[in-house]
Amino acid sequence: MLKYILKRTVQMVPTVIGVILLTFVLFNIVPNDLAAIALGKNVTLEMLENFDQQRGLNKPLFLGTRAKNRAYEDHNLADGAGRWRAWSNAVYSAATATLTIQPGAAINPLAFPLKDGEYEWTATYRGQGNLAGTELDAADWQTEKVRFQTMGEAGFATAGNPLEIKALKLRRITTNPFDSQLFFYFKQLMRGDLGFSEYFKQPVSRLLLDGIPASLSLTIPIFIIGVVVSISLSLVCAFFRNTFIDRFLVVIAVALMSINYLIYIVAGQYLLAYKQGLFPVWGYESWRYLVLPVLIGVVSGLGSNIRFYRTVMLDEMYKEYVRTAFAKGVSKPRVLFVHVLKNAMIPIITNVVIAIPFLYTGSLLLENFFGIPGLGYLGINAILSSDIDVVRALVLIGALLFVVANLLTDICYAVADPRVKLK
Amino acid sequence: MIKQGQSLWSDAWRRLKKDRIAMVCLGLVVLFTLLAVYGEVVYFYHHAKDITPAYQKINLDLAYQAPGAAHWMGTDGLGRDVMQRLVQGVRIAYKVGIITSLIAIPIGVLLGCLAGFYGGKVDDFVVWLYSTFASMPGLLFILAIAMVVPENGLLGVYLGIGLTTWVGLCRLVRGEVLKHKEQTYVQAAKALGLGSGRIMFKHILPNILHVIIVTFTLRFPAAVGTEVIMSYLGIGVQGEPSWGLMIDSARMRLWQGMWWEMTFVTLALFLLVLAFNLLGDALRDALDPRLDD
Repeated sequence: MLKYILKRTVQMVPTVIGVILLTFVLFNIVPNDLAAIALGKNVTLEMLENFDQQRGLNKPLFLGTRAKNRAYEDHNLADGAGRWRAWSNAVYSAATATLTIQPGAAINPLAFPLKDGEYEWTATYRGQGNLAGTELDAADWQTEKVRFQTMGEAGFATAGNPLEIKALKLRRITTNPFDSQLFFYFKQLMRGDLGFSEYFKQPVSRLLLDGIPASLSLTIPIFIIGVVVSISLSLVCAFFRNTFIDRFLVVIAVALMSINYLIYIVAGQYLLAYKQGLFPVWGYESWRYLVLPVLIGVVSGLGSNIRFYRTVMLDEMYKEYVRTAFAKGVSKPRVLFVHVLKNAMIPIITNVVIAIPFLYTGSLLLENFFGIPGLGYLGINAILSSDIDVVRALVLIGALLFVVANLLTDICYAVADPRVKLK
Repeated sequence: MIKQGQSLWSDAWRRLKKDRIAMVCLGLVVLFTLLAVYGEVVYFYHHAKDITPAYQKINLDLAYQAPGAAHWMGTDGLGRDVMQRLVQGVRIAYKVGIITSLIAIPIGVLLGCLAGFYGGKVDDFVVWLYSTFASMPGLLFILAIAMVVPENGLLGVYLGIGLTTWVGLCRLVRGEVLKHKEQTYVQAAKALGLGSGRIMFKHILPNILHVIIVTFTLRFPAAVGTEVIMSYLGIGVQGEPSWGLMIDSARMRLWQGMWWEMTFVTLALFLLVLAFNLLGDALRDALDPRLDD
């Protein structure tokens, strides 16, 4: 048994790595500017750079020793003058997509003072001048890399002759090629650091811990009542198979499945809480506030659950041991509740255990509509306010819990059915 | 009894015709499709001529009119005709259902075929990929994708739903291809020296087409439902009459007794989803020859 558990745990590792990589791709590679999404419009480049610094976004993606810096962002001169519009002694020509720095000028194109370290300009130029302390002199277009330290002069200076520039980019030089965004993310996760919420100005782990009790107080009752009710109803279906009751329940199940979650909430809130006044409409103060959300949660999940469990039960009903039991004269209820239910346990376990991770994320919509301060509430608000770290932590933990729940399912299988281990 | 000259499709159609509920659902689906096409024509006409369509025209004098002869489904808070907006909602729902399918189905089918056919390393990779995607927490993951997509609006909805819903189909297709790979017609094609691509897409794929059709029919309403929730939350459609936005604006008014917008949107959404769900179930029964009478 222990060997089997170990084997399954090892098999889990690639999926865990996959989940971490996928969240990395989603939040570090896909958005072209995460800081801009998170901080909004009215920010300085330096604020964006600080955001990047804090989250390791100013490092190379996977591997490398050159990192971008927002003090001079990559900019194609063919698209326009960009930040060079600020200097009158730098003349931009759209026709040739070049920039001419007039004689006798001193221009520092950096948007803010650089942090300590070694940096590198890569310039394609023609003419004479000085860049970050290095003399440039070429009659024809030439590309040169100029290294400089933060302490010294970083900008351009010209004396008697103009300097023309066709392309320019700034890179920070890092010494360790493994000092990348990916490794930064891994290291952060190893430390158990889930990031920092820009919106609440609090560590994400703190927010998660605060939200879990409220989420669980909503999802655990939904989960338990839902499982009990839907398994009972599916047994009723199996008991009265192909009679009016069975067909009626199946139709009801499909109808329940086809009602949008949103409608359940809106209708429940309006009809039961507002019109009938049976429950409080909004808030989280006592258990009474939870009754309506739990009811809605149970009813909304009922349709698909009844259908699923009914199929499971009916699959078992055709097996030979059932026929044998009937032939022996065992009563129908006993066959159903003792023989069939026991053998149907495996698919039921799968369905039940797999649902556990969703207990943690809570119900995004229910919590939002009823003002229950759990993780679902946190999640929706984080998405609406682009609170990246919170969203990433919720997605990541949800996925990891799912992987663990999968492992648990397999172990439950092995306990319930010894044949599984041998495969 | 063996019937001569009946293809799988005509056989399935014969079975489907016997199912009265399925035929009603098919009728509803056709009706909704026509409404969507009509909505697209109306939208395109106004868009091309650059005029404000009636369903966007604000007229506060007409606000909150109950259903009547002039406006069969009443008007909303800005005096816009609910029925016309509802039809535009069908258009958006269809766009979401179809475009997300165009993203998810090719990914699922291609990966599933490759994994099932080649096995080995390819299979390991595909299984790893879909296990990873399957582990992601549903709606939250979709919303997160929509959040990082640079443009707000429908693109985020398409990508969010499209890139997350290929997993189930991929798993099904892989399983089917694994089964078909061992069958004699595939062995024969291999013996004839046909290329792998040709065997996969010309020989095996037509035989598992029913899986794809049923999946399309069942994922369509799911995608529509998700879009409604996203638009309601303000992450989806903006500035166009999506059902999610209509529910959002109707929700508060409902409490003051303006029931019509909410009722009709709910009804339309329910009928669309129900029709596709029941039709999908019926198609599955009709296309699965093992259940033949």
